Amino acid sequence: MGTTIHTFPVNRVEGDLEVRIQIEAGVVTDAWCVGSMYRGFENLMIGRSALDGLVITPRVCGICSTAHLKAAAKALDRIFKVRPPGPAKKIRNLALGVETLQNDMRHGFLIFMSDFAGKGYRDHSMYAEAVARYQPLRGRTAVRTIQETARVVEIIAILGGQWPHSSFMVPGGVVSSPNGSETAQCRYLLNGYRKWYEDRVLGCSVERWAEVRSKADLENWLDESRAHRNSEVGFFLRFSREAGLDRIGQGHGNFISFGVLEMPEETEVASVNGNTHFLPGGIAPGIRRSALDPEKITEETACSWFKDEGRLHPMQGQTVPYATGGEGGKYSWCKAPRYDGLPVETGPLAELMVADHPLFSDLVGRSGPDAMVRQLARLVRPALLLPVLNQWLSELHREREPFYQAAREPEDGEGAGLLEAPRGALGHWVRIRDGAIEKYQIITPTAWNASPRDGNGVRGAMEEALVGTPVRDPGDPVEVGHVVRSFDPCLVCTVHAADLRGSGRNFRI
Amino acid sequence: MDYQTETEDGALTLYWLQSGGCGGDTWSLFNSDLPNMAEFFETLNIDLLWHASISNIGVADRQTLHEAILSGERKLDILCVEGSVIRGPSGTGMFDTQFGRPKKDLLAGLAKQARYVLAVGTCASFGGVGADGEIEATGLQFHKWDSGGFLGKKFRSGSGMPVINLPGCPCHPGVVAGAIQTVVSEGALELTPYHMPLEWYGTMVHQGCTRNEYHEYRVEEKEFGEKGCLFFYLGCHGPLVYGPCNKLLWNRRSSKTRVGVPCFGCTRPDFPQQYPFFKTRNIEGIPIELPDGVNRAHYLAYKGIAAAAAPKRLKLRKTGI
Repeated sequence: MGTTIHTFPVNRVEGDLEVRIQIEAGVVTDAWCVGSMYRGFENLMIGRSALDGLVITPRVCGICSTAHLKAAAKALDRIFKVRPPGPAKKIRNLALGVETLQNDMRHGFLIFMSDFAGKGYRDHSMYAEAVARYQPLRGRTAVRTIQETARVVEIIAILGGQWPHSSFMVPGGVVSSPNGSETAQCRYLLNGYRKWYEDRVLGCSVERWAEVRSKADLENWLDESRAHRNSEVGFFLRFSREAGLDRIGQGHGNFISFGVLEMPEETEVASVNGNTHFLPGGIAPGIRRSALDPEKITEETACSWFKDEGRLHPMQGQTVPYATGGEGGKYSWCKAPRYDGLPVETGPLAELMVADHPLFSDLVGRSGPDAMVRQLARLVRPALLLPVLNQWLSELHREREPFYQAAREPEDGEGAGLLEAPRGALGHWVRIRDGAIEKYQIITPTAWNASPRDGNGVRGAMEEALVGTPVRDPGDPVEVGHVVRSFDPCLVCTVHAADLRGSGRNFRI
Repeated sequence: MDYQTETEDGALTLYWLQSGGCGGDTWSLFNSDLPNMAEFFETLNIDLLWHASISNIGVADRQTLHEAILSGERKLDILCVEGSVIRGPSGTGMFDTQFGRPKKDLLAGLAKQARYVLAVGTCASFGGVGADGEIEATGLQFHKWDSGGFLGKKFRSGSGMPVINLPGCPCHPGVVAGAIQTVVSEGALELTPYHMPLEWYGTMVHQGCTRNEYHEYRVEEKEFGEKGCLFFYLGCHGPLVYGPCNKLLWNRRSSKTRVGVPCFGCTRPDFPQQYPFFKTRNIEGIPIELPDGVNRAHYLAYKGIAAAAAPKRLKLRKTGI
């Protein structure tokens, strides 16, 4: 029948993305990530008042608005030349940490594993159980996830007024001053979430999980008890292996993290290797690690629908929409961020690789990253965060220190706010001139992951990870969906595929 | 497992379209607890035909569903739209495409078939973020303060109702659940001139704010992190804008104004405002904008007396909030 064209909408991601894939002999041989929506946020900021980023930028994303707020506040801390007091740092970290907790479980059970309950897995030996767990709005895990995540974000409302879209972080700290009974309520909420997470998601305590430090440990853990095998993590591993998720989604294997949760000055929490962040930031091309140099971050627009100005640091970057239609080389509303010229992936797996986490270093060291490992990292990230967040809450209960350090708004200045959002490395670069915003550039985690090709024609992280993916049924390419969703992209995806049997041409649809 | 492609007997159908937005209204709705999202659809016997963050139907089923709705073969009781309608560049809508076509075209087709159309959030209601920008965003039936928007002043859904606007950034989950509940039970929904249900948009945001005693006696803050009122200097819109934030509370717990974040007026057709946040525009220390219907001279006199009557415990911020 020569050439056929299939259109695959892949949903359950935030925003709009199309992934065009080229299939030859049942395998993806090339891929293009097409950000198909342009919202013009950066240009909306120009000319506005310095503090306005605290209100506008959380609206970039409905599921990680706290991360944008914190990045905006950090950039302004620099511009205002002010250091938030320790308790304020703890409150900022708690809010971002809780946002991450809700994200990881909502993504895991409402977005990623929902596919296991889809018709594409009718013949999988664990299909019936997957439906019982993850069928949208009905599966028992899906319903429980809805209940538990709604509850845990109450912590952010207590600390910051509401979730999503509050603006309670300001240069110098936070505006709120939670009292003892409020922090006590936060601890009950966090403890309740931890109970669910240990009982149902891990099937063991976070302390027992921390003993899983290698691939062999992981196998032993899985064999150890029915509770482990039947937990969500145990079920995920067993289902994924039968479905082959450990054999797809490799990618470049370059990782970037801006560092997970900055350490406050006085705390009993110990960071990894005494670093300035609980988990250090850095870059890991493969399994070699080095410190992060923010000056090496650039964006380019050779394949993006923006005016092409070469490779620029975000503080020099421009956002000038250039063309629609995309004939020729341009095909996406995403720019192409690069670190030292390299395409990199970001997210929970990158955080753990950069921090040299023993389990994930072992898994990736053996066979490289894959869709299963990437998703596993997200499912078990709360095990690292929960004890730390609990400790900061208990310290806040004792400390009645200031939450805000007043500072004068300068007429001029520039600063960057870099942090790990739920989906990975997020940066805001801001310049103020004559009391107004002159430049506002944002690089989101998904910009790294869903990057189009750069000026050298090198694929972005997700594009590269898609290459080599076998597609059993081009009418319902669940494997492609798994690879895309293992990056937890903040985009509503539509996968456009050109089946190239016969023609050797690409099609635009 | 085909429940999403075959509507059960008697069930009402709902399609949730995400357009030019951030998904915040969806995640806000996920924070609802009584009912939670699952209970909500089950109790009201609503068949959720499509929601981009929830549905797991395959590609072919989704295309069949679209064709069936757009041809009128499959009934559509409720269309919820989240996010603005992106019309740029130059009216083409190509800044927001699906299957290579502007998403606004799909929206127009669905709106034609729906018995009720709900604009969930400020972007869908009035254009919101991007209404003044290069993406040429607009609301379903309003562009900021002006009637019209994408569907036009005269648009009526199958029920005879105009688009029901549920603004807020995000919209409060209690409002979304309540509005859907009212329309499915064929209850009356009295609308304001901006097509917002009076039930939730007939109260000022600061009703129920725990800082109200400070507000009454004009104990006003110029710095963050204090207990007093935020209206005179810190840009709070609580006394100016309609919304249920301090009545329904957020996430069952609190509100921005209670913890010390000024209200940004996110339910108002001009959100986000074109003047600075966190700063009140003043004339001689009195806000330029006063509460709806208030006489300026009377307000000056009242606030002068109120400040004079302020008890020491408030001036010293001894009273809790």
